[in-house]
This record gives sequence, C-alpha cells and structure tokens, in this order.
Amino acid sequence: MHGASKRRAGLRVGHSRFRAVPALVLAVAIGPNFAPGPAIADAPAAAAVPVAAAAPTAAGVPALAADTVAGSPTALSLTVYRAPERSAGSIDLDRLGGFALISETRTVHLLAGVNRVRFEGVADGIEPASAMVTGLDQGVIEKNREGRVLSPAALVAAAVGRSVTLLRTEKSGKLTRTAGTIRSDAQGGVVFDTAQGVEALRCSGLPETFSFTGVTDLAATPTLSVRVRSSRPVTRTVTLAYLAGGFDWAADYSAGLSADGKSMDLGAWVTLANGNGTGFPDAHTQVVAGRVNRESGEVEPLDRGGPILAQCWPRGSTSDPPQYLQMARAAVQGIGQTRAFKLMMPASAPAPLEEDMVTAAHRVEQETLGDLKLYRVPEETTVAARQSKQVRLLDRSAIPVSFVYGADLAAGEASQTAATALLRTMNTRANHLGLPLPSGRIAVFSLRDGQRLLRHESDLHDLAVDEEVEIGMGESPDVQVVADKDSVAVSNARAAAIQFELRLRLPPGARIVRADHPVGAKNGRPIFRLSIPARKTVTVRYQTRAKVR
Amino acid sequence: MHARLLIAGGFLWLGLQSYAAAERSLSVTIYNDDLALVQDRRDIDLKGGRQRIEFQDVSAQIRPETASLTAGDISIVEQNFDFDLLTPAKLMEKAVGHEVTIVRVNPATGAETREQAEVLATNGGVVLKIGQRIEVLRDDGLPVRVIFDKVPENLRARPTLSVTVIGAHAGTRPATLSYLTPGLGWRADYVALYDEGNGKIDVQGWVTLSNSSGVTYDNAQTLLVAGSPAQIEGGVRQPMVYRGPQPRATLQQAGTESGDRERLGDYYLYPLADRTTIANLQTKQVSFLDVHGVPAEHGYEFRNRWLGTAETPQSARSIYSFSTSAHAGLGDQLPAGVLRFYLRDKRGDPQFIGESRIDHTPMGSTLSLATGDAFDVKVRAVVEKRTRLSTFDWRSDMRYELSNARPLPVTVKLLQEGLWGDARITAESRKSTRRSAEAAEWTVSVPANGKATVTASFDTRY
Repeated sequence: MHGASKRRAGLRVGHSRFRAVPALVLAVAIGPNFAPGPAIADAPAAAAVPVAAAAPTAAGVPALAADTVAGSPTALSLTVYRAPERSAGSIDLDRLGGFALISETRTVHLLAGVNRVRFEGVADGIEPASAMVTGLDQGVIEKNREGRVLSPAALVAAAVGRSVTLLRTEKSGKLTRTAGTIRSDAQGGVVFDTAQGVEALRCSGLPETFSFTGVTDLAATPTLSVRVRSSRPVTRTVTLAYLAGGFDWAADYSAGLSADGKSMDLGAWVTLANGNGTGFPDAHTQVVAGRVNRESGEVEPLDRGGPILAQCWPRGSTSDPPQYLQMARAAVQGIGQTRAFKLMMPASAPAPLEEDMVTAAHRVEQETLGDLKLYRVPEETTVAARQSKQVRLLDRSAIPVSFVYGADLAAGEASQTAATALLRTMNTRANHLGLPLPSGRIAVFSLRDGQRLLRHESDLHDLAVDEEVEIGMGESPDVQVVADKDSVAVSNARAAAIQFELRLRLPPGARIVRADHPVGAKNGRPIFRLSIPARKTVTVRYQTRAKVR
Repeated sequence: MHARLLIAGGFLWLGLQSYAAAERSLSVTIYNDDLALVQDRRDIDLKGGRQRIEFQDVSAQIRPETASLTAGDISIVEQNFDFDLLTPAKLMEKAVGHEVTIVRVNPATGAETREQAEVLATNGGVVLKIGQRIEVLRDDGLPVRVIFDKVPENLRARPTLSVTVIGAHAGTRPATLSYLTPGLGWRADYVALYDEGNGKIDVQGWVTLSNSSGVTYDNAQTLLVAGSPAQIEGGVRQPMVYRGPQPRATLQQAGTESGDRERLGDYYLYPLADRTTIANLQTKQVSFLDVHGVPAEHGYEFRNRWLGTAETPQSARSIYSFSTSAHAGLGDQLPAGVLRFYLRDKRGDPQFIGESRIDHTPMGSTLSLATGDAFDVKVRAVVEKRTRLSTFDWRSDMRYELSNARPLPVTVKLLQEGLWGDARITAESRKSTRRSAEAAEWTVSVPANGKATVTASFDTRY
C-alpha cells in the first residue's frame, strides 16, 4: 500500500422530503399604474388564500430532523486571482474576468438525524461544484445549490395550479379581490381561472395583480445547502470554501523618472475589485499572481428570475398600454452590471508618488505558493460589494534605467516611422529591485518645475527575479527612421545623444553579408546597436543574400 | 425551444386527471452526455375500453419518440406530445368563432355591463361581433375584461405527454412510463490537496449532478453511468462547440487494473445508495471518493509549438502527476471531470492553484495534469539561424534558454513540437528523446536561481 491510507466512500444520499420551512408570508403586488391607495392599505391580510395546501407530496420519506440556516460568516478569507487570459495590463471594472477563493467559518446547530443546513449570503458568482464543507463529523451526504431565486416570475411559476387572490382596481378606484387559480404562465403570459370563467392577466386594461400567500423556500440569492447526518445534537464550526467569479486584480505601477533620466523610483498598488453583490467584511485578503488553469466547465443552470411579463393577446392599436411593466428586479443583479459603479468609484489611476509614506507594515507581504506568488494584505480588510480597493505593493527608489530607442523593420523595404522608446532595466537586487513583479499597468512620470507630468502608460507582464524589464514609452517623433532598399537613416532631433537599436527581419534563409556598422544578433535576428549623436543622422548600409549553401 | 422557456417552471404535479396514485416510484439513470433515462412507475386506475392518460409531470425536454408506457393488459392506440401552450394569445386564437363574455365598467358610475361577443379574428388585433355591431377589442383604450368559458382541450401550462390506450378491463394496475430526456447530466469534481513537503496528495471526488430539464424528480432512485451512449444525430440538439486547439494530453499511461465498481458493458455505474430528490435547476453533489496520502510528483513542462522565436521568455507549465493504481495511487477509476488543486499557504490555509480536466481514466493509469504557468520558471525559444540547404530543405538552429528564479533546482521537460515527422535533429547540445514523429523531448535540470541552455539543429523540408 506504500503507506497510502485510503477510504472509499460509498454513495449515500439522505432521505429527502418536502419539509416545513419557516413560514415566510409573501404578498407581492404588481400592476400597471399600481398605486398603494387606501383600499390596499385597508386590505386585511386574512383575505388572502393559502397556497400551501397544494404543495406537492411524494411517497413515504421521513421528514428532516432539522432544517437550519447556518450562522453568519466569520473568519472570512478572500483570495483573488486574475483573469486567466490576461497576461498584462490593468483590470476592466466592467468585465471582471478573474475569480476568488472564498473561505468562511460558520456555526451550525445540528439535531440527531438528517439535517439540512443552508448557507445564505454566499457570493453571487459562486461555482457550486467547487464548494467544500469541512468540520462536520460524519461528513456531508450531499450538497445542493438551488438554481432558482425569489423573483416575481418564479413566484408565479411556483403558483401554477394553486389558489391565489386576484387584486383588480377599477377605474373608480375600487379594489376587488377575487379568488382564482393560476392555470398557466407559459411563454410569459398568465392565464387564470375564477368562478366567472377564464381570464388573462393584465389584458383588461385595469391594474391587476396577484396576491400570494403561503410559504416559499425561494431565497433572495443563490443558496448552498448541505444535507448532513448527525447522531446527536451538536454545535459545530464548519468551514465553507468555494470559488466565485466576478473578481479581478492587477498591479498598478507608477514610476517617477529622475531629472537626468538615468534612474527612477517605482511604486505600485495592488488594485483588486469585487463585482459581486456580496461584501466581505473584515476578511483576510490575498491576491495570487501567475496564470492558473481554468477549465471552461459546464455552466450550472441558474434562473436569476425576472418580472411577470403578462404577454397579452394580439393587439395592434395605438391605444395599447405597455405590454408589461418593468419591475425592479428582485433577483440578484448580474455581476456584469458594474458600469454605474465605475462612474461612482474614485479613479483607480496610479496614485501619486506622494503617498510614499505608506509604511512597510501596510504593504502586502509576498510569499511563494507553489509556482505562484501570493500577496497577503497585512491586516483584515473589508472588501465591500461592487468595490475596488487598493493596497500598497512596493516602493523602491533609485533604480538605474536606460532609455533605448529602437525600430523593428523588414529588411529591404522602404518605410518611414518614428522610433519607439523603451525604458530598460534589470529586475535584480543590485538595481534595488530583485522581487517578483506581477503583471499590470505602469505609468511613467517626469518632474517639471516640481510638477509631475505623465510621460507614458503601458502594460507590464509578470516578471520574475533577474529578468530584463522593458517599459514601453511610446513613439518618439524626434527620432525618425527612414528605410530604403539597402539602407536605414536614423535622425535624432534631440539635444542629447541617444542609444538606438535597429532590428531587421530577414526572409528565411537570408543573412547579412556586408554592413558599414557592426551587426549583432538578438533572439536570432540581426541588430545594429547605434549611438546617435545630438541633432545628427546616422545611416546604416547593409547587403543581404538569400543563397542556397 | 418551447421546453427551454419552461425552465423557470416550478413544481409540477398531476392536475386535471390525477392518474398519479400515491405509490409512485421514479428511477433516473443519468449519462455523462446530457442524457437521462427516466422510468416512472405508478399505479394507474383504468376504466375499461378506450381512454386517454395524461402525464404532465414528465421532463419538459422529453424526447417524446422515446416514450413508452407498459402496463398489464392494455394496448396502446397512440401517443401524443402536446406542446401547444396555454397563453393569453393562444386562448384568444382558439376562441375564434366562439362566444366570450366581455365586461365593461362605467368609470363614472361603476356600473358593470356584460355582453356576449363572438370572436371574429385575432390578426394583429381582436375583432369582435357584439350583437349586430363589429368592434375592435379595447381600441379605445378603455378597460374591457374578456372572460372565456373554458380552456380549450389541448392547451396546457406545460408540454404534456398523453397516451391513448384500450384497457381490457377496468381496475388499478402498475404501469411504467420510460423515456429519454436531455437536461440532466453529471460529471465528477475532484479536490486535490497537495502536500509540498512530502510530495503527497489527498483527493476527494464528488459526483456533480445538474438538472435543467424543467421538472423536479422527487424521491428518485438514481444511477449514474460513466459513459455516453451514442446518440443519433438529430435526436437531441447537440450544439457545435469550437473546442479550440487540441488540449494537452493528461493521460500519460493508460491503466490496466480492474476495480470492484459495478460495470455495465463498458460503462461504470455509480448508484446512489439512497433515494434523492433532484430539484429543477439544482446542482447536487454526492461524495464517491476520499483518498489520503497518495504519492504525487511536481514538475515543469514547456512546449514550443513550432520552430519559432519568442521575443520574451514564456512561462513553463506547472505539472502534477500521480497514479490511479491500487498499490501506489488513488486505487480507483476516475470518471471524467475537473480536478482542482489546492496548496497550503504559509498560514496553513488551502489556496487554489489551478485546475485541469480529466477524461474517463481507468485504474492503474498515470495522470499528468497542468495547473497553470510557473511564475519563476521560464523558457525562451529562439531560432538562431535558418539556412536553406537546397530548394526544399532547410536547417533551423534552435536555442532554448531556461531560467529558474526559484531557490531550488527544478527539472523542466522541454518539448519541441511541430516536427511533422520529417524533421531530423542533426546536432544537439544534449541528448533528446523523440517522443513521437511530431515531438522531441529534453529533460533539463536548471539550477536554483540559475539558467540552462539547450541548442539543437533541425533539418526540415519546406
């Protein structure tokens, strides 16, 4: 057995039963031009007809010993992962493509027998298949995620075939209540049946709606429930861990160039965002850098609910009232709906370097997690619903940098372009760096009369220790590159000499046979490393040959 | 399509003709590929002679052509699947030529007037004949209620299966309705916790069952089948999904061991021990595997897809491999699913480090699963030189620079792919193994915080 202890669990499923849930009486009123007039206010609740009588019954299964709601979460931990497909750049608050591992501790009270424990208030974006529950003695019989949430449409769907009360307000303002039965809610139309006959909802032109009474176990948000067997009444602290979408993070660097352009200060923030409607108060918060594999996976069915559409019969006249009334969605808001919050949120642009006084104690702490890098926010922090948050990542100063201009040209083709500028350094300890740099966006600033000016903004990949760091600085119109069939002229209109790297793309098999400047190689391609004096033009001439050896 | 709209539907139960007796026994067999066989056994009470039996609580996505009803002493005349749904528009359409009652209320006095009207047409608007007048319903925008006497026969809230039978004699008898339906499926989900210090993993397996078929299966005896029987094209709408490039093979060595799991033909069977209720839109998980302390290895792999250059170093993949054999592994065959890896951080909390899909895996196999990219282990592949040897023959001199920013030495499996079977390695700095005609492989040790270089020359055609 090689010391491998193992236990194979058989498939066990507890007896299930429609249990008596804590009664939650709902009276939802929907109708065009619906105004809560005095008639409604006076309406006695007792007039409503109970629905519960029609609850479905199935044969011969014992009731649950207990159906409980787990206590509110404590000891929250939130680990945010980046969008797996993004290798560089900042996050998009409108489309948070990352995810998070959420782990929380809750107290549950179990009775002897089979218990159902419901975990409410989990993140909207929960991936139910990833949920893990630990801390229950005898393990979990089954875990369920109900796919329906409470919404007007779900309420009608659940009431098909059951008795409801129709509320109708005549033009005179008189409210009538009629007992009836919903016959169908197919394709958005509602047909019901009263003592007078069969009618359709909201086809008469009068404000009409249903009043439902009875019990519902539909929850406001997707709820995870666990069926667990216990031999005796116990109180347990259980840990629930699951993955959820609607999160993301990136690093936002800001670099301050020195006046001579030979060194820079580098500061960075971890910007993390939660697009879920669920907040995480006082959570241990971590972010993980590095790309992790995600499988697209089957999407678990979920009905996020909707309004009662009440589609009516054919009507084409100009006097048609709207076919349906848009209700405030009772369902959870989609994760993608973050536009409004983007407008309200303070810009997550790189924070100015003045905030350098962030003390080391308030920076994230980096540790290695397998082949990934984990950054821990030192204190418990609250990650609220639909919020982006910034925590200091690093502050380094006097990092030597060099400006390099360059052009990447196809050999033998005539062209004219402005050179691109790069800021180059090495991620080494000698350069006051030498730490993993997670991907993100970098903004480079210069000082002018004590004022900071943005020089350029560009994306940064994940950079390991001892790797070369190249920060794109955009095009430089002062340095123009004019290529001809066999020559390249580089002109420098700047007041100082520049370093210039000219890289050529050759057709396969071709090589440079002659040139008037020394030619090197980088990544298998020829490169001319030139020094262009101030206000001068340097011309490189070369000859290529594509010849069979 | 109609069925998809009904997913929002709630509980269903027999309404009009309650042939459902108290003794109802459901059994559901779920295959991997969005397919399930439902067997619904119940007592039906028949009159003698010809009659219609309706089943309203069948899956809304039922494949009606697969439905069959078996009961003692009956003969089946015909089977119908009605999906003409009861909506206000349909109700009005079916009322053409029939009388309805219209109710008007005088806004000033509140007096109610009732009239009988005949529906003449419903094309773009409802045209009514009231006595000798012809009117358009609610063209003036004033409230008018329309009351119908009854719901037409074949309009229903849900698609309904009805069977017309001839019973030889009256009385109660057990009957079984069986049919195939999409909308029910299952897969496995695994949780693997890797212990870095000891090189061992703990693996838990869960069966994840999901139901989007539109109904709830109450108290059903459930059997899961690992495998997907071939379905005839057109039987079920199989969306064509572009699956992207060929994924990395996860099965390194196919196993040859047999476990004690129940089999049916070439399928493995996973019966749930107790009856369970599979609610509509529910995702249900049941445990089937729990193994601790299985030896596992962690390594790196880098694949260069073709003889090309990467301008920036690319991360190697982080690979975990383990066996499913009985003596040194999980000791079980694994149904297809997703395996999620966790690793403890410095505080001891498990953190997610990536996931990988596995196919049905026999016992005794070796699995090698990629969890993601290594931050600190990178490879830069460079074409140093491409030389034309003759009209069609080329030589590519490749250099691979491997770097390791970890404080420990690592071993990287370096693969050069895209060799098309006609590429020959004429020179190399260390010995490669030709994994296949398509790929060459080097195993390279990279020292802690160090670099390693591999060079090779490939002769290729074109």
